[in-house]
Amino acid sequence: MSTKSSNPVRDKFNAVRERAGRAVEPAWQSAMDTVRPLRQRQIRRTRAMADRLPFTVAVPYLFLTPFFVLFSVFLLFPILYTVYLSFHTYEGIGTATLFWIDIGPIQYRLTRIAQLEFVGLQNYQRLLGDALFQNALANTTFILLVQVPLMIVLGLALALALNASWLRFKGLFRTTIALPVAANLVAYATVFLLLLQDNGLVNTVFQMVGLPAVPWLTGGTGLLPGPLKSVLGTGFWPRISLVGAVTWRWTGYNMIILLAGLQSVPKQLYEAAEIDGANRWEKFRYVTLPQLRPVLLFVVVTSTIGTFRLFSEPLIISEGGAPLSATRTLVMYIYNMAFQQFQLGYASAMTVVLVGIVAVLSIVQLRVGGESDG
Amino acid sequence: MGSVTRDEAGWRFLGYSFVLLVTLLMIVPIYWIVVASTLPEQAFLSAGTDVRLLPGSNFLANLDALQARESVDFVQSIWNSVFIAVVYTLLSLVLCSMGGFAFAKYEFKFKEPIFYSILATLTLPIQLLVIPLFLLVSQMGLSNSYWAIILPWAANPLGIFLMRQNMKQIPDALLESARIDGATEFQLYYRIALPTMKSSLAALAIVLFLFQWNLFLFPLVVLEQGKYTIPVAINELIGAQRVYYDQIMVAAALSIIPLFLVFLFLQRHFVSGILAGSVKE
Repeated sequence: MSTKSSNPVRDKFNAVRERAGRAVEPAWQSAMDTVRPLRQRQIRRTRAMADRLPFTVAVPYLFLTPFFVLFSVFLLFPILYTVYLSFHTYEGIGTATLFWIDIGPIQYRLTRIAQLEFVGLQNYQRLLGDALFQNALANTTFILLVQVPLMIVLGLALALALNASWLRFKGLFRTTIALPVAANLVAYATVFLLLLQDNGLVNTVFQMVGLPAVPWLTGGTGLLPGPLKSVLGTGFWPRISLVGAVTWRWTGYNMIILLAGLQSVPKQLYEAAEIDGANRWEKFRYVTLPQLRPVLLFVVVTSTIGTFRLFSEPLIISEGGAPLSATRTLVMYIYNMAFQQFQLGYASAMTVVLVGIVAVLSIVQLRVGGESDG
Repeated sequence: MGSVTRDEAGWRFLGYSFVLLVTLLMIVPIYWIVVASTLPEQAFLSAGTDVRLLPGSNFLANLDALQARESVDFVQSIWNSVFIAVVYTLLSLVLCSMGGFAFAKYEFKFKEPIFYSILATLTLPIQLLVIPLFLLVSQMGLSNSYWAIILPWAANPLGIFLMRQNMKQIPDALLESARIDGATEFQLYYRIALPTMKSSLAALAIVLFLFQWNLFLFPLVVLEQGKYTIPVAINELIGAQRVYYDQIMVAAALSIIPLFLVFLFLQRHFVSGILAGSVKE
């Protein structure tokens, strides 16, 4: 299949791949052909010199430096500053306004930092007894448990369907399904607010086909079977609306990433599995899933983080009349604490705890996802 | 085209129905935005009594109302958003792919600690960095400039994670043989890693573009009139006394167009990325 070339290493590499039943990737070959071979002696001299230079040791650092400089200045420093703030109380009683935030009916005003007083772990102790914090944590957990699995399964199913060779109009489907991410945050939350009104479009359609109207935004446990009522409590429907809105928006985004992952699975693996007599499920279980693991893991971790970040959607949905205790997320609560109550120290402490929770979750997911590598 | 077995036909039917159903669900709210943008406000605010599902003729009037606003120059804000998102995406692609290459293909001191400290910041809800970032950016004299929005997340932890995962798939033997052919380390990155990672880069570009396109709180804090991005501009339409739904719908309908173009453009690269991997000699 492959012709002899002037490059012994590449020949060997191709020979090994052929023996393993895997075809040589032509993309790599052409990439290699663009690297012009130098004369052997010159190469030997250059490499002998390069091995002695401290420069070669520095190569990976040089690749990393541009990233790391910006990373340190704009991410690491603010994070450390937040941790620093979490051990202090902050009294925002200065006269000069630092900045305004004006989100529709909600306005935040941050005044100049007037006093910082060290209080040790006091902020963290307060956290333990804060019912509102626990409520926000519970809400976020509920949304996480319903929304993330729903979205991943949906995204994966869509990616698999769109990766099938027989499906036509792929580009059209892909673009349409991914289009919701293009919808502007503020605009789409407003649109959902309109659609989900008690007499909004969704309920109108529901009634047309004979379904009962659902109190999407105003909550209540109406329409739920008895035993579920006490478990899920009031505000079930606003949470579901939130889950629906977020799923609508981000499923296509996850689908695109999963699709890119699927397309990087070598076709030869499927051919080999077919020769071995694998059926549809076995091909999915033993070829697709293992090959897709890094991408899948990426999607799960980023979706989890995304859920913990929810802010604008619950804010706007609760503007529509949803009970705040049902849809208040952690970030929302922290934001209120920081900008409405001006308790920057306490807000920072909550931020640190929130980041801790998300970090632990992500590490667990990465461990579980990475371990079954075999 | 060979004959299709019964089982296969069933799967195809299922696949088409599923994709069509989801597509429909996804398109309805967007269709609604477009329709609403062509209707007078009263016609779509209460859908309960009479549902209007067909476009009206009020689009230009709504657009005029939007354009007439003193506080927002919406056309300018589209340009601002596009410029910021494009520059941000390009810059971040370079930073992330270089960093990802280092993590995937080299051994060096403190590799693990550095990588995990970057990874850890992935877990950070960025809204919560608004205060320290604002202080930092204004100290640097960058407030109300495009750079205030471009630089802070150019070193995108998400991007470096994705790049590292994907670049691990490049075989070491390939890089080694290129080294023997006399390639410099930078050429390995530029001539081998980047071309083979085309589809991953396209996927990451979408991720980055969207991330920047959707940033809301930080631009709201940092930018002033004239530099507003689309989300901030639309937010201006939600007044304390009144929400200008008709104008929001026009703005939302217009703001979808640039994203649509990005998808169309990058999809071609997806396809070429696939073809490069599957063409046989």
